[in-house]
Amino acid sequence: MISSRKQSGHHKAVDLTPMIDVVFQLIIFFMLTSHLGQLRRTEVDLPVQPGQEQRDGEDAAMIIDIGPGGGYMVESIEVNLNEIHRLASAGIGKESEPANFDVLIRPDRNAPAVFLDRLLNKLAGVGVTRWKLGTMAPDGSGGG
Amino acid sequence: MARKRFKRGSHLGALPLTSMIDVVFLLLVYFLVTANFAQQERDLSSAVQAEGGGVRVSDLQPQIVEIVLSNSVVEFRIASRAVRSQEALVGLLKSLPKEPGVAIRARRDVPISAVAAAMQASQDAGFSRRSYVPADE
Repeated sequence: MISSRKQSGHHKAVDLTPMIDVVFQLIIFFMLTSHLGQLRRTEVDLPVQPGQEQRDGEDAAMIIDIGPGGGYMVESIEVNLNEIHRLASAGIGKESEPANFDVLIRPDRNAPAVFLDRLLNKLAGVGVTRWKLGTMAPDGSGGG
Repeated sequence: MARKRFKRGSHLGALPLTSMIDVVFLLLVYFLVTANFAQQERDLSSAVQAEGGGVRVSDLQPQIVEIVLSNSVVEFRIASRAVRSQEALVGLLKSLPKEPGVAIRARRDVPISAVAAAMQASQDAGFSRRSYVPADE
């Protein structure tokens, strides 16, 4: 076959199909891996507010969920305030600048504020200064 | 030359079907992955200000928005003024100076959705310095 091409004087045709194949595979790989952080999140009935769009790749250092009954969860595991204190202390210790340690709190919209207050008092005790309240975009809202 | 060959063999042209199906499926997977079926999550940023201390971003006293439940209805109070809707709170906050910032605090029985509403209202009113004051136990 090669010899016949050489004989007819044609250039070797570049087959684009496998290249497109590989490019798509790579795109899908990177898209999936960048969304893994969001897939990890548990389902919470968040307050409905437009808020600000969460920037890709700028995940919070710590994500804490507050259930409707006031239970705290970190990475789908129920934890108490003392454990949160320990986790936050360890996280802050790893940061060169403690102010860079920001916490995303994903509360159930009907949970009483007292549970948010208890959590924030605990976090403030270890030096957390910035936090974000997770919200759900209202239906049809495009930007925030 | 190629046409001649196809005519002779009475073929329409050999389409590489396997690769085409491959690419079509990849496109399908790509659009499935990129389509966002779940609602987009957002966030509202704030500072934590412990009562009687904590983060101080300005020497000026911030406007304090207090959220209370009055007859089981959420009420937002700023000094002596009280409003019951998020829109009214935005209007009220817009009339206030922005430099001192705003501090939000809520009574313990208030739902967190009301805290989110107050944070959103302060953001919509143009306050860049926002803090939440958690109540002491």
